[in-house]
Amino acid sequence: MAVANNELEKVIIQSVMEELAKKGLLSQKGKDHVMSAAMMDTPIVPNTESKEMVTFPPQEEMQISNPFNADAVKAMKKLTPARIGIGRAGTRPKTMSLLRFLADHAVAQDAVFLDVSEEFLQRMNLMSVQSAAASKDEFLQRPDLGRRLSVEAVKTVSEKCEKNVQVQILIVDGLSSSAIEANIPDLLPALMQGLKSSGIKVGAPFFVKNGRVWIQDHVASIVNSDLIISLIGERPGLGTAESLSAYMIYRPNENTVEADRTVISNIHKGGIPPAEAGAHLTDVIKQILAAKASGVKLNQQK
Amino acid sequence: MLESTNQRITSVGIDIGTTTTQLVISQLTIENTASGTLVPRVEITDKEVIHRSQIYFTPLLDRDLINAAAVSQIVESEYQAAGLTPEMIDTGAVIITGETAKKENAKAIIDALAGFAGDFVVATAGANLEAIYAGKGSGAAQYSAQRHQVTVNIDVGGGTSNYAVFHEGKAVDSSCINVGGHLIEFDRQGDRITYISEPAKIALESTGQRLQAGERVTLPQLRPIVKAMAECVVDVLKTSTHVGLTKELLMTPPLQLAQSIRKVMISGGVADYVYALNGPTTMAEVTAFGDFGPLLGWELRVSLEKAGFVLEKPNETVRATVIGTGTQSVNLSGSTIHLQENTLPLRNVMVISPFISTIPETPQKIAEVVKTQMLRLQVDHSEGVVAIAMRGPRTMSFADISILAQGLLLGLEDYLSTDKPLIIVIEADCGKVLGQCISASANRSLEMVCIDQLEVENCDYIDIGKPLMGGRVVPVVLKTLVFNR
Ligand code: B12
Repeated sequence: MAVANNELEKVIIQSVMEELAKKGLLSQKGKDHVMSAAMMDTPIVPNTESKEMVTFPPQEEMQISNPFNADAVKAMKKLTPARIGIGRAGTRPKTMSLLRFLADHAVAQDAVFLDVSEEFLQRMNLMSVQSAAASKDEFLQRPDLGRRLSVEAVKTVSEKCEKNVQVQILIVDGLSSSAIEANIPDLLPALMQGLKSSGIKVGAPFFVKNGRVWIQDHVASIVNSDLIISLIGERPGLGTAESLSAYMIYRPNENTVEADRTVISNIHKGGIPPAEAGAHLTDVIKQILAAKASGVKLNQQK
Repeated sequence: MLESTNQRITSVGIDIGTTTTQLVISQLTIENTASGTLVPRVEITDKEVIHRSQIYFTPLLDRDLINAAAVSQIVESEYQAAGLTPEMIDTGAVIITGETAKKENAKAIIDALAGFAGDFVVATAGANLEAIYAGKGSGAAQYSAQRHQVTVNIDVGGGTSNYAVFHEGKAVDSSCINVGGHLIEFDRQGDRITYISEPAKIALESTGQRLQAGERVTLPQLRPIVKAMAECVVDVLKTSTHVGLTKELLMTPPLQLAQSIRKVMISGGVADYVYALNGPTTMAEVTAFGDFGPLLGWELRVSLEKAGFVLEKPNETVRATVIGTGTQSVNLSGSTIHLQENTLPLRNVMVISPFISTIPETPQKIAEVVKTQMLRLQVDHSEGVVAIAMRGPRTMSFADISILAQGLLLGLEDYLSTDKPLIIVIEADCGKVLGQCISASANRSLEMVCIDQLEVENCDYIDIGKPLMGGRVVPVVLKTLVFNR
């Protein structure tokens, strides 16, 4: 790297660090650590002893320097978690917006690649089976494998699950394990309570690893439930990585198409709060059972 | 078997003011606006005024008595003109405004009309509410939301001027001052004074003028007192500490002015003269309606502009309050509604907010707080139905929501033993699950309404109408509003 370039880089790093420190987002110690690495031209080795976390200013903070109508920007920002009203530095995003973007992207990747923890499954008292996708990589590369149970899982489900119930609940990691850990502890008990109060017969809920939406059809063919509902992690976005969907279908068979499913999406603390979603799903399930139909067929009965 | 997604309801608004009485009938479209993926949210999506009455002079028996029979006749004949019967009206409000609200038989009037104007019609009065309805009817509320600018609406009527400050469409402050166009009465198109009201006498004193009923006045004689009154109206927008005449004429606490105001809309009978091209130049022009409204309007505009305020034109002037009353008085709320048909409508339900800050950790502690509050209420001999209001559970976790449900049931044991319906109003988005938890914890079937995402305050009064949209929502009218948050 040419010397001039190198100098420029140092200046940039220094100003970024100073900006962060000024905003109280980085301690003096953290700043010094990065600066000394930059000055000595050594790669920055993360200081593993330091538990220091960078915290971002709240999303709603005004980042436009001289807004013409600050109230208008505030009102618009309130309506959406999208990255609006973030200002700019020349033609580029401001440091804070860029860092936030990178951080959110990292969170989204974690949500996809991490597994739902053993500890969590035990705490929630959930039996766990796996799809035909043996690893996360295979799950991502081969959607078809995520749509059916592994041979072993077929055996477990046939042996352990109660048959011919009205409702079978599946918890499926899908594209966000974070969504499962964040929402299930409040959603599941609310849903179970609602179904029980309504006198609906429910099989014991269980967890499916590396699963996709269609896996519910495979499970239903074994347990023979009237309705099967998957609480599944949604593809994470940069707004939240904790969003969960509930896909429901009434008596799926080999002719089932996507339009036969009913979906309630965006269940997370910034969307439909999980406990409230549990109560709402109870209503939807009651409607599906009464109509003996889900998806577009249900809507057509309205 | 699924509920229909939209419904139309007919709403009436009746405004009995110091000078005029009006009525409008509107059709409100209510619709589920949430997409299929989300929990349904029922909102009023369209408002159409289908009938505007003539503007009547408020019939009075004498200065302090409204002619109730004549008011009923007005309502009856306007219904006929609109081709409607009282049974066809779903909701609405009667509002007795301004000086008239002080009249002796205001309550009798409201009682007489509530039966007349349909089963769900709600009677309301009070300066705060009046101001807000006027600002919603004039378009100030909408303007503040569309332009993202704090906007004040001043409804200048015969006896009072009512302020409502709007921020992003929501009323955030209100006040009322005893200034109006009808405080001194004259021979029509003449220059002889026939009556001087109390507030006008106070104003006269402060300008050092001596005028008496029976005297004749010139425009230069009249102008200073009207100007003084107009300046009082503008003072309230400039500061929240008042002295002299403004202080004497204020009928409620002044505006708090937490946000500074630039945009002003004027509605009410005097508004047309605020937005006129020229001011009145002769006494005959001033007293065209037997009062000094045209002059007050003009002087108000002069004072506002001098003080640097920007005047915006309202959508409605003289009909703003009645249109606001007819179209804006109802909120729709839903969540858990387990009620027998005949329990509703419930009128004048007092709101109590038992929890001062956060909600305690255990059902027992929650129950204790609720019990204490309920006992206090019994000491006041209020035996009626109450609504328990709160911000939210301790956290949004299912566990905390269940604890809240158990605590409420425990705390309300005595109240519920008398078979009164359980009414819960909660701000957080958890009305369904809270209702579900309450049902699950109670070992009997309860009559219950659990409404969420509605802000109410301790000692507010609410009316709850009959369910709409297949039982999914109930119309709720909030009646007392305070802005000391
Ligand atoms: C990715 C996605 C898609 C992709 C799916 C690609 C794929 N094969 O994996 C594509 C672009 C094809 C798609 C299409 C549609 N989608 Co889409 N989609 C999403 C998104 C962004 C993420 C879904 C997800 O994470 N699934 C979880 C993973 C693990 O599931 P999966 O098994 O890998 O994938 C399946 C599901 O994603 C499912 N799916 C995807 N969309 C929809 C929509 C409906 C109604 C149903 C029943 C199933 C379904 O199809 C996939 C294949 O089986 C969500 C947004 C969200 N917040 O959830 C919207 C979302 C689910 N989609 C929606 C809609 C409306 C549609 C369409 C109907 C759009 C249209 N008008 O054509 C179509 C219908 C799909 C169909 N096959 O019939 C709505 C559903 C609203 C509702 N309840 O009615 C959502 C919530 C977006 C929104 N907020 O509007 N979608």
